[in-house]
Amino acid sequence: MSILKPKGGQSQSSRNALRSYLGAYGFMAPAGVLVIVFFLIPVAIVLYLSVTNLASSNFTSDLAKMEFVGLRNYETLLNDQFARKIFFNTIFYVLFTLSIFNVSAALIVSLLTTHIDRNAGFLFRALWILPRITSPVVYILIWKRMMAEAPFGIINQFNEFLGQPTYNYVATNPWVFVIVVNGFIGISFGMIIFTSAIESIPKDLLNASLVDGSSKLQRIRYVILPLIRWPLLFVVTYQTLSLLTSFVEIQLLTDGGPGLYRTEVWSLTAFHRALSNYFGNAQWGYGSAFAVLLVLIGVVLAVVYMRVFRFDELIAEPRVEVL
Amino acid sequence: MRITIDNLTKKFGDVVGVEDLTLHIDDGEFVAFLGPSGCGKTTTLLTLAGIYKPTEGQIRFGERVVNQVQPKDRNIGMVFQSYALYPHMTVFQNIAYPLKLKKVAKNIQRERVQQVANVMGIGNLLDRRPGQLSGGQQQRVALGRALVKEPDVLLFDEPLSNLDARLRLTMRGEIKHLQKDLGITSIYVTHDQVEAMTMADRIAVMNGGHLQAFDAPDELYSRPKTQFVAGFVGNPPMNFVSVEVSRSNGRFIAETDRLRLEVGGDRGGAAAGFAGAVVMGIRPEDIQISGDGDIAGEIYVVEPLGREDLIDVRVGPHSFLLLAGAETQYRAGEEVKLAFDMDKVQFFDPQTEKSILWQQ
Amino acid sequence: MAGAGSIEMGKIKEAPVAPPIRRDLLEALQTGAISMAVMLIAAIFFSRIIGPLFTLGNVEETVTDVLSRLLLLVMPYVAYIAAASVARRYTYIDTARALGLAFTTTLALFSVVSAGHYVSDTGVFAPRPALQMTLVQSDAGIRVESVVAGGAADLAGIQAGDVITAIRRDPVDLQAFNRRVSQSLEGDPLRLRFIRGDEELQETVRIVLLSGKHFNALLPGLAFALAFTAIIVFLPGQWAPYIALVGLLSPLLIGYFWVIVATFSFRTEGLVPLDGNDNFGGLTLKNWESIFVGNIAGLEFNIVPIFMTSLAIAVVMTFIVLLVSSMAGYALSRMNFPGRRFFLSFTLILHGFPAITLLIPIFFVLLRLGDIPFIGELIGFNTIGGIALVMVAFQLPLGVWLMKGFFDNIPWDMERSALIDGASRWRTYWEILLPQIRPGLLALGIFAFIGGWNAYIIPATYSIGSGVSNLPVFLEELIDATAPVDWNQVAAVGLFQLIPIFIFFIFAQEYLLNIYAGGAKGTS
Repeated sequence: MSILKPKGGQSQSSRNALRSYLGAYGFMAPAGVLVIVFFLIPVAIVLYLSVTNLASSNFTSDLAKMEFVGLRNYETLLNDQFARKIFFNTIFYVLFTLSIFNVSAALIVSLLTTHIDRNAGFLFRALWILPRITSPVVYILIWKRMMAEAPFGIINQFNEFLGQPTYNYVATNPWVFVIVVNGFIGISFGMIIFTSAIESIPKDLLNASLVDGSSKLQRIRYVILPLIRWPLLFVVTYQTLSLLTSFVEIQLLTDGGPGLYRTEVWSLTAFHRALSNYFGNAQWGYGSAFAVLLVLIGVVLAVVYMRVFRFDELIAEPRVEVL
Repeated sequence: MRITIDNLTKKFGDVVGVEDLTLHIDDGEFVAFLGPSGCGKTTTLLTLAGIYKPTEGQIRFGERVVNQVQPKDRNIGMVFQSYALYPHMTVFQNIAYPLKLKKVAKNIQRERVQQVANVMGIGNLLDRRPGQLSGGQQQRVALGRALVKEPDVLLFDEPLSNLDARLRLTMRGEIKHLQKDLGITSIYVTHDQVEAMTMADRIAVMNGGHLQAFDAPDELYSRPKTQFVAGFVGNPPMNFVSVEVSRSNGRFIAETDRLRLEVGGDRGGAAAGFAGAVVMGIRPEDIQISGDGDIAGEIYVVEPLGREDLIDVRVGPHSFLLLAGAETQYRAGEEVKLAFDMDKVQFFDPQTEKSILWQQ
Repeated sequence: MAGAGSIEMGKIKEAPVAPPIRRDLLEALQTGAISMAVMLIAAIFFSRIIGPLFTLGNVEETVTDVLSRLLLLVMPYVAYIAAASVARRYTYIDTARALGLAFTTTLALFSVVSAGHYVSDTGVFAPRPALQMTLVQSDAGIRVESVVAGGAADLAGIQAGDVITAIRRDPVDLQAFNRRVSQSLEGDPLRLRFIRGDEELQETVRIVLLSGKHFNALLPGLAFALAFTAIIVFLPGQWAPYIALVGLLSPLLIGYFWVIVATFSFRTEGLVPLDGNDNFGGLTLKNWESIFVGNIAGLEFNIVPIFMTSLAIAVVMTFIVLLVSSMAGYALSRMNFPGRRFFLSFTLILHGFPAITLLIPIFFVLLRLGDIPFIGELIGFNTIGGIALVMVAFQLPLGVWLMKGFFDNIPWDMERSALIDGASRWRTYWEILLPQIRPGLLALGIFAFIGGWNAYIIPATYSIGSGVSNLPVFLEELIDATAPVDWNQVAAVGLFQLIPIFIFFIFAQEYLLNIYAGGAKGTS
């Protein structure tokens, strides 16, 4: 179009584009290197391990010397009579913890703490954060004491006091406690996100709805909840993935028991197989097969979430073209 | 500094920001880019600043082609609509920041900042932070920061739109005065045609990414070259009505439903030479309510503006805005007679929207 | 005349607020009935649909059952609250009317619930396990006062006057005996050891279920329901959220109360501290003292370097996380480069990576890193650098995501202005934008600091025998090194670790609440 276009303008501009990319890659470099070194390469290694029979009996740190067994680990896994149970255990665990605690209870707590005196709200939220910042060993110790048999257990002490029968909760209701224990930790994440979202709603809007004659409950239903839809989706997404991969508390509380795999979840199995086998024989190859499947599920879920919630709409084009 | 823009096109993916813009700005000139939002005026300004790179075409500062020159190497100063003051820095640090980046010696920095601050009348505010300043003061700090490095070109991006009406008037005068004093080539983006008319030496009217007109303010007002310019420049805006102009008995008659007006020779001749209907434009001040007017209409609404009243008169299906002295006590619903000053009407081609009277 | 006047006044006062009482009653009943129906449906949904669904997948869970029973348990009370909320309108206008309305609806709802219990043999009408004899505690044991003819005990041959001493070989008192019975199922055999005259005999009694439909069993429930309703009617509205919050928090409050008591106790049963002779008492400062003395059950240590290591890991990690994530966040928010979209989506996917299951491969990576000349000494296996980098990497997905959000919220003009003033992209990032996302940095910093302070699994896995231990690792060492484990001592160390971070959080919370200002904000 232009006859005045300077000679070599195209190559100059592409050279500039390259330079500007270099600037961006400079900013990305530290994160990029860490991600490559501690995520991508490990995932590649775990993929590789999953097709070897590496175990503590034939351990070698030299990748080339490991024995290739093809898809045998996956076959074993699929034929494992407990894999199916563990799979459904995982779904059950994520579904219930997420819906009851990480989302619903978190939402209720943040709504309650934003509708009371501001300082009291701060205090209550500080108390709710306790499970997250307490060392898991001590946190689980507390819950073990809660559910212990009489006369040590706290709940059973209440039961006795009320003239009720006492129970061995570890044996009767392990799942209830696994979910409650993890749920009480999970509340704080959603609580912080929701509270900060509610606090960022313009005060005019909140006052306007009261002036319009709605009650506080109606205001929550018709003003606040629609406005925090996005953080809700964010918490659902983020916490599903968190729950899928969390296992430390379960390991400390029930270690997948009582009995055979009663409260075992997928990530705990990967850990058990690879690091803390009952028989003292760590099966890294087989454990990696569990890990690979978990990675796969996590990635698929994340992709689905991104599609459904249109996360890529968040990626606006930069409005500066300077290197 | 002379600025030459030749065939500038800026696209964002498939979206056209500005297309094939050619504009030559003289040294020391004050040019306003005027247009509705989304017309490409800010895109052009940011391309001049080097924030955006041209997709096609060429920009020269003086003789230097600056297409690929980084903003920091263009020696420009810019004032933003939001002022873009750095909230974590004091007024002094804000103004001194460009000097600091140029590695100017500390004592000279202090001297220059004090000097600029005194000119801007904010010499006593240097220790404050932007959050503690009023809108007008922030505006002055932003201007000071743009001026302190003695730029070759000053760019303004709607700098007054966040101020209240009274302050806007004061700042308008100050900026214009300062620009003339310093003689820095300035480009001023605004959607407010009053600002553009009062401040600029020349106005570039833009719409939809295209340049509509580039002329002195009075020229734009009295000889608009497109219907868009005619409608956008002037407040209240020009009235448009579609008419047929014909010649009978040596006289030119503009005619449409309920309207029949005689047009003067020059203008009527040009319009009559056009085949088919044309768009006739007439400014509000060229229509009078008068007993001996020959067009009957009914007042639809009266808006008192203080000094005068803005009156909307309906003539059949047509609506005309006009001005009447505040002492006149017209009421809505009143039947009135209108007199048109037909020596000042404009005619436009309804297809191309170009003026039939003034060719480009 | 006076009477007429007061009627007039009454009219003026009440006319606008008081619709016919029948309408209020209907509304209250309707509200209560709807909330009850919703909860009933939810309870059935959990126990009849969700539960069996997971049973198909071999999940041995009791959660759905517990949930459904919990829903049924609170169902009437939720209904009373819902109905009473209608009555509450009149609490401070016409107390009699409010109470009348609330009590009437509560009575009606109570009858419905009780009828339901009666029909379905549940609640107070549920069949109870019994042995069909009356017992009293005596010095010798449990004396049988009378036996129901043809009942379970009678069939087993137990007679009035027998003194029960044990079930199998476990000696029992009346309380334990009743507990045993109440936990039994229909047909469960109980082998009783008892004394008749001078003889010691044994007989097996089989538990029967007695459906006791005694209407006077309803009375305590009814009284409780009415008292509950009265409280709801008079409860000041602003108390409700506090009560709800304390209720939700109560397990935690009780749990943390116990752990505090435990750290000051010799031993505990339930919430009660006990001394060596099982008497109330045994309070001691020993558990806390030994932390500072540096000797727990023979394990000698110095708490100061351990504390400082914890602090150092947390501070260094926080700093690196902030720097790395804000740099990446800046580039993702403000710069255009191939792979930008991919990397941003990838950060979310990264979070879905079971980082912990990557522990094994990361072990291999660290081994290789250790082979790199020079820097290998800093970041390889068994180095603090390596540990810190792994932890930083695990914090990155959240960090990058949050930082990008905060940068997104800074007006573009700010950046443009800096560029025109002559700043490079790096200076723009460092001098202009970074100071403006301080709330975001603080929020992420708090997360990172908490993560670093509590880091256990990574330091423990990758620092075998290096002697570098932070508090969590020390806690684990303590558990491993002492047998039997003194859990009260462990709890004291755990609390010692908790206190600084809890205080830190209390002061930092205000900043943490800014997280939404950028971090998780979306387009909608």
